[in-house]
Amino acid sequence: MRADRIGIVLGKTAAVAVILLWSLFPIAFMAMSSLKPAREIFAVPPTFVFAPTLEHYTALLVRWPDFFRGLWNSLIVTVGATVLTAIVATMAGYAYSRFRSPALTRSASFLVAVRLLPPIVLTLPLFPLINWLGLSDTHFTLIVLYATFFVSLGTLLMRAFIDKIPVELDEAALVDGAGRGTLIAKIIAPLALPGMLALSVFVIVFAWNEFLFAFVFTSTRAKTAPLIVSEMLGSFDGVDWGVLFAAATIQLLPILIFVCAMQRHLVAGLTSGATKG
Amino acid sequence: MTTFKMNRRTALGMGVGAAALATGIGRARAQGKTLNVLAHRVHQASLTQGPAGDLTKAWRDANATEVNWATFDSNPLQDRLFREASLSSTDFGVGFLVNSRATRDAAKLMAPLDDFQRANPIEDFADIAPGLVAAMRFDGKLVSVPFRHATIGLFYNEALLEERGIKAPPQTLEELVDQAKRLTFTSAAGTPVTGMVLASDLSVFPVTFARAFGGDFISGDLKLVPDRGALEKGLATMQDLFKAGALPRTFATTTNDDQVTWIQQGRAAFTVLPFARFAQLNNPQQSKFPGKIKAIEFPISEALRGKVPFASVVEFWAMSILGNARDKDLAWNFIRTMSSKAVTTGAARNGNGPVRVSTYQDPGFAADQPLAAVESKALAGARVPLPAFPEAARAQTIFLEEVQLAVLGRKNPSEAVGAIIERVKPLLPA
Repeated sequence: MRADRIGIVLGKTAAVAVILLWSLFPIAFMAMSSLKPAREIFAVPPTFVFAPTLEHYTALLVRWPDFFRGLWNSLIVTVGATVLTAIVATMAGYAYSRFRSPALTRSASFLVAVRLLPPIVLTLPLFPLINWLGLSDTHFTLIVLYATFFVSLGTLLMRAFIDKIPVELDEAALVDGAGRGTLIAKIIAPLALPGMLALSVFVIVFAWNEFLFAFVFTSTRAKTAPLIVSEMLGSFDGVDWGVLFAAATIQLLPILIFVCAMQRHLVAGLTSGATKG
Repeated sequence: MTTFKMNRRTALGMGVGAAALATGIGRARAQGKTLNVLAHRVHQASLTQGPAGDLTKAWRDANATEVNWATFDSNPLQDRLFREASLSSTDFGVGFLVNSRATRDAAKLMAPLDDFQRANPIEDFADIAPGLVAAMRFDGKLVSVPFRHATIGLFYNEALLEERGIKAPPQTLEELVDQAKRLTFTSAAGTPVTGMVLASDLSVFPVTFARAFGGDFISGDLKLVPDRGALEKGLATMQDLFKAGALPRTFATTTNDDQVTWIQQGRAAFTVLPFARFAQLNNPQQSKFPGKIKAIEFPISEALRGKVPFASVVEFWAMSILGNARDKDLAWNFIRTMSSKAVTTGAARNGNGPVRVSTYQDPGFAADQPLAAVESKALAGARVPLPAFPEAARAQTIFLEEVQLAVLGRKNPSEAVGAIIERVKPLLPA
């Protein structure tokens, strides 16, 4: 019996180790390669002990200054999309939580249906329209697109959170003379903050890494970092792997730290509503 | 207590206001005197960075115009170019077009350049490689001016050849095969060396082997497999190399970037790449064999040596004016200046493949470029790997499928060539 338990524990440990290795190896390889001298990156046999260098980070700064502009653009778009999504999804989630009507029920189905559409189906018809509006290559366009893409999921998520807030609080606020705007801003939003944070994690990860919309709708001014990383891969003069790994590491690091820090809220978001009723 | 009242009218007003503001900002930005150029980063770099400096500065100063480079990877660049050109109007003036995507339909999206050339001609236009210019004429109209070429050659690691006692690089294809087999060994440094490394996802390589026997995949006049025997011999040679282990076991997944890293690391003795890769392959920061990677023209087979010139594979980029561009005169002015002799030579010093014959004759340029003579010779007879036609991408995919089956020994070369002919024929224009 004890031998069986030891076997199970060892098996579980081995499984976790394999999963960890599978997940962490690409990240470790990328981060290590960004610090290796260029000729050591693909050396056969591979080198694990080396004198770390920042030469690729320096080269990135000198040769791809637009990567850092791209990061700035990514940040603007990510923050904008997250704030917009959180606001809209909270208001919509409130409406779905507190009101009932056939129109609302039908629109809830529509929210799910929208998520089923492949993004490319929406993207290409929008291209001439965005161009005609003069909104091509603007942060505004990406913010609105990213927010639009996540409002449906966000609304369902926020509805689950707001459902847990007692309706009596609404009624008390309304009796005290608060309008719906004040009610949402002062009562609902603070109480639904964990939901908004969980939603923000999804939006931030998506917006920070998104490629397709950025590729179609930007060219220079609002160009985000993933587009520039993809250009590094397509160089005619050969891929400078060290610089590419340095860029990928910089691109990954903030989101990795953020997701680790917000892990608790992410789990809360994923399990929201699971125990309802 | 302040009450914030968000009614439908307020929400609608805010939405319209935000859209109007964003529209205004977008349009205001587009109104400055700027020439927007759709390009690959390599085009921007060769015109703005390197030993010759920023070659656009004089033009920018003279025209009080800024150049705004929108750069993309190759295929996304072409997709964006065609998408922009299909709108009612675009902010982009100049776009770079690659030969393989320059079909008749694509040409219709670009502005014809003959009137511009007549009114305000490019300096010594005849000096620009005529074969490249001809590929950019559709129904008699010039739609793009060649800017950059990449002609392929055979690269070899001189140190590895010396280690195996090989005194000189191959002069014929048969010698190349023999040397590649001899160079499949474990080097003194303990690195397993493969005789030759080639990517499996590019048609350049099988086409090069076919041309070494005087054949082709699709000729310039759209003849499919003009010499069946030559293509079969080319595939049989690649199959022979694979069977002997002189092509990597991972051939089916080998990419263009692998070719570079394998040569730099001494894991392969030969590869086929554009001459322009010379500097990168010998870069001391990346290569374990700086100064030891040399290049020659790809060798032709013994039977054809001295009888017919070898047609190296060339790919090239050209500058077009988008048909819906707002300021076509400004765009032409830019193309005209960037095509001048001085800028072409300067861009070549910055790493561009010059499309002017005279650039290679420039003593200053030739002195700095060890491969100038061999590249110039290869360029003289070079042809694109396959002509552009609407179904070219599908034809290429089929070709590569069959080539891989042949090289890996899953089909004999004759069967593979038969399948290529049968499957590609319906895709060719009537």
